[in-house]
Amino acid sequence: MSFREKTAWGMGLILIVAGAWYFSKIVSVSSALGHTSPPDLRFFIGYVTLVVITSIIVNVVLAIMSGQEANAPVDEREKAILDKAGHWSGYVLAVGAFGGLWHFGWLGDGNLLFHIIFGALMLSQIAEYAFQIFLYRRGV
Amino acid sequence: MAKRPPIANRVKQLREAHDGMSQAALAKEIGVTRQTVIAIEQGRYSPSLESAFRIARVFGVGLEDVFSWDEAQDS
Repeated sequence: MSFREKTAWGMGLILIVAGAWYFSKIVSVSSALGHTSPPDLRFFIGYVTLVVITSIIVNVVLAIMSGQEANAPVDEREKAILDKAGHWSGYVLAVGAFGGLWHFGWLGDGNLLFHIIFGALMLSQIAEYAFQIFLYRRGV
Repeated sequence: MAKRPPIANRVKQLREAHDGMSQAALAKEIGVTRQTVIAIEQGRYSPSLESAFRIARVFGVGLEDVFSWDEAQDS
């Protein structure tokens, strides 16, 4: 497995865990309030901090384990994979964004709109890493 | 599943005939990662024209001695 594929696995897992933590907090606050929780800066900062710190640790560990491979520039195949994965993940973000707008049009719930858009951002990033792994394994 | 490109190649045979050149050594010669050489040999990736020429030059053969159109894969 190449360094960049390992990185994609690591980052994908980090984003899944951090996203699950974030939305578990939002769901629990929403349940307590009886309506959709407003955006909470504490959870947002917690999510970003968790992602940044764990991704630094994971990337440093993988770079140490991979040696020189970690310093090698992206080659033509990897560039094609990154481009295609980024392109596909854009569709995930677009679907999430339109879903959020559609919900807002029907329900007029701005808090829900925020959570759906933020969730779509998270999901599109996770999807990008998943697409990268798929393309690394199946070919581009 | 990603469709395999209809291009066959003899990279592995040429590499082995070239004093058993390693995938890493070939990768270094043509400026790609070892995983990309593996993907080319397994037919999961068709290299750019530049890399294809670089591979042919490493082995001192023509482009069509390395790569060929795979009719079966194309149909």
